[in-house]
Amino acid sequence: MRYIPTTEEQKKGMLGEIGVSSFRDLIEAIPTDVRFKGKLNVPEAISESELEEKIYRLSKRNADFFPMKPLIGAGAYRHYVPEAEKSLLQREEFWTSYTPYQPELSQGTLQSMFEFQTYIARLTHMDVVIPSIYDGASATAEAALMSLRLTHRNKIIVSSLLHPHYRETIKTYIAPHDTQVIEVWHKDTLLNIEKLKELISDDIACVIVQNPNFFGGIENLTQICEITHSKNALLINAIAESMSLGVLRSPGEMGVDIVAGEAQSFGIDLNYGGPYNGYLAARKQFLRQLPGRIAGETVDVDGKRVFVMTMRAREQDIRREKATSNICSNHGLNILASNIYLSLMGTDGLYEISLLNTKAAHYLEKLLLKTGKFERVFDYAFYNEFLMKSKNSIPTVNRKLLQNNFIPPLEISKFYRGEEFKDVLLFAVTEVLNKDDLNRVAEILSE
Amino acid sequence: MKLIFEKSVKGRDGYSLPVDSFDEVDIKDCIPDYATIATRKALSEVSEVDVVRHFTKLSKFNHGVDDGLYPLGSCTMKYNPKVNEKVAALNNFVYAHPLAPEETVQGCLEIMHDLNNLFCEITGVDQYALAPAAGAHGELVGNLIMRKYFVDHDEKRHKMLVPDSAHGTNPASAAMAGFKIVEVKSNEKGTVDVEQLHELMDENTAGLMLTNPNTVGLYDEGIKDIERIVHGKGGLLYYDGANLNASFGIMRPGDVGFDIVHLNLHKTFSTPHGGGGPGGGAIGVKNALTPYLPTPIVTFDGAKYHLVDAGDKSIGRIRAFWANFSVLVKTYAWILSMGADGLHNASEVSIINANYVLAKLKKYYRPAYDRYCEHECVLTGRDYKKYGIKTLDIAKRLMDYGFHPPTIYFPHFAPYAEETMMIEPPESESKEEIDEFIDAMVRISNEAKTNPGLLKDAPHNTPIRRTDDVLAARRPILNYDDELKLRDELKYRNEDINF
Repeated sequence: MRYIPTTEEQKKGMLGEIGVSSFRDLIEAIPTDVRFKGKLNVPEAISESELEEKIYRLSKRNADFFPMKPLIGAGAYRHYVPEAEKSLLQREEFWTSYTPYQPELSQGTLQSMFEFQTYIARLTHMDVVIPSIYDGASATAEAALMSLRLTHRNKIIVSSLLHPHYRETIKTYIAPHDTQVIEVWHKDTLLNIEKLKELISDDIACVIVQNPNFFGGIENLTQICEITHSKNALLINAIAESMSLGVLRSPGEMGVDIVAGEAQSFGIDLNYGGPYNGYLAARKQFLRQLPGRIAGETVDVDGKRVFVMTMRAREQDIRREKATSNICSNHGLNILASNIYLSLMGTDGLYEISLLNTKAAHYLEKLLLKTGKFERVFDYAFYNEFLMKSKNSIPTVNRKLLQNNFIPPLEISKFYRGEEFKDVLLFAVTEVLNKDDLNRVAEILSE
Repeated sequence: MKLIFEKSVKGRDGYSLPVDSFDEVDIKDCIPDYATIATRKALSEVSEVDVVRHFTKLSKFNHGVDDGLYPLGSCTMKYNPKVNEKVAALNNFVYAHPLAPEETVQGCLEIMHDLNNLFCEITGVDQYALAPAAGAHGELVGNLIMRKYFVDHDEKRHKMLVPDSAHGTNPASAAMAGFKIVEVKSNEKGTVDVEQLHELMDENTAGLMLTNPNTVGLYDEGIKDIERIVHGKGGLLYYDGANLNASFGIMRPGDVGFDIVHLNLHKTFSTPHGGGGPGGGAIGVKNALTPYLPTPIVTFDGAKYHLVDAGDKSIGRIRAFWANFSVLVKTYAWILSMGADGLHNASEVSIINANYVLAKLKKYYRPAYDRYCEHECVLTGRDYKKYGIKTLDIAKRLMDYGFHPPTIYFPHFAPYAEETMMIEPPESESKEEIDEFIDAMVRISNEAKTNPGLLKDAPHNTPIRRTDDVLAARRPILNYDDELKLRDELKYRNEDINF
């Protein structure tokens, strides 16, 4: 077997050196009656060429996705990933290494974490950044748990326009903690401010708001923050589409306490839902309650500037049940992916792509209205996702789009009940759709 | 070395975007005043060439499995096959949107469904959920399942038993799921003290989390008693799969009586660690617990595959979307490449490797427990204290010989497991590579006695040398802007940052 270098002859020799006559002697601690007898019902090994062919064939049972441009986002966005990034990610020193516990052999990983922490701190205007929690949903759930520890309160308020998967994840994480989750139902396409004012009280640990929200709507976080802080609760801002940070006012400038973001848009492919990468960004005073690994700067014995994992007294391998979280392995390689992506895009690139996404989405919205086959359900300020009610049946729309190599938008009634959501679609637009593509979409759907 | 921000030159760029042809759209009409930014956020300004050189240089400051033996105990740093990366990167997977219509992702679902069956066969349980993103994520899910199960059965069980040899994630996961942790001591043989377990296990206890073989690389020979005690009091038995690499075709956790199993795809199943992740932490259960698995589950109706909600009793959702799909593809590819015989051979060779290291090194480094081990062995640096040498010094010196150190100072419990080195040479390591490692360890043993200074100052040949971790925690500099604020105080010379 090509992945196992030891030959049968060598095995015998090694057993001899160990001082046993057979392998069985080494597993004498396993009671014989609990040992597995017989042979696993796992297919016989196949060759590398057969493997490639088999998985290639399986991949062909999917749609031919490369040329299919998504009109759907809802927490996962197809942006172009530059080849320079993909090529760099293939360097084995990055992807075959372990968690950087030994800084002398891990400066590549550690410095990359530190650089990504800098990018996110700058984009969000927050002080400290945890570069990797599994994904946006689990990062948001961790932020919710953090707010309970920080405030010692037992209720949290969650916007109904927080991604449905994120909301469900919070409920799962919070279930053992004797905490009430209160959902604030939206008013049209934004958080219901009046309702929030009614609900905010001294026992609320945090208010969790996604921005842009699940409908693409741009929330007034400054206002939400004032209401939240009036009772000393924490404002947690979930960001499912981090590319929006290129054109929107930063959470830090609007008073947000903790950002729970999904960095998938920064150079991470769709991959049928994962692995992506969640991050947390917070004000400095919350540092010791943050979960997960963080890189910090120090010096080595020669006085060189170097990077290490730091503030480790929060982590499970040191604090065990008193740790701020159980997280150990995270989505580290995706920190590097996003770091390379943001380095390539730079100051202007991130602004321009974010601008392009916003403008292209608004262009499509107007175009769809012109077809006469769609109507606005709500008139609202959105980033790159928007709701549209279809006059044609949804299956017809989906079929037409699929036939023309577009992944259809999200049928919002899958997540939101109510008459107003019947036949309503959530469209998403990114830079992979150029003007011709958008014109083509309108043309197909005007028939 | 220099940060990307220190290579930034105003006006330089590294991106290419389609031309903005949307003149008819004015951004001012799109974004309300309350959300408009006054100034653009400064990131960096570098060209593609700058980026490629920067990260290529950074990569050279890292050490990976392809560079040599990486004997981190309980981390199973085995070879990550190249072809697995290729098949996981096929266009129809990479560009599959997670919410694309079900009929367009049948290939993805078939792999997930098939993988579930393979996992069940390998571990002897009935159903898996593939959603957990990592081992600890799986542990949290497993604990939430136990919690939900007992709530459902009107039982108040608020305690969780965790051996002192368990990974830190075990008590941390159980605590996150609301359990009070009760520690079970190890006996003089390095395994669970069955008598103490008997005293601790009661009707208020949900169960026991067990890594088997455990973190000292020993199989818990009292497993049948352990199973009887835990189940006898109505508890559940949780299997931490961190050390499953010793068990392919030898022992199936489900057969032994474990009710819940998590797998570490990035350990046992060869997917790369990526400098910290992503991995996968699939969680499997026996039939009685299937209703509690997290959402979603993949089903097959004879013609089509479906993603379905796990139902009313499910603990719910634990992440966005479905799973770390590309990690699943790599896992699947590995199992198909190994086959039943290859899997068994992997466990056999990993056990032989660890015992070979133990046999060869035990006269130089006193083992924590002098008995045959499974896939990893625990040696100690206790006998070098008299030379003023700690295990840390031995580990750092190993770097000079081109090896990544083993896991050190874990597990730690007196009097046996102190100054520990947990060494795991997986099946992908050749005898020749292991012999070189052994040779280096023997030389270090000699150096410790004759020239301890060499160890105390080690490493000597790495890009950087020992770091001041106390300073890092006392004066947190957690991003470049923190550094800029302290510029005058830091007084770096050019050669301190440009190397």
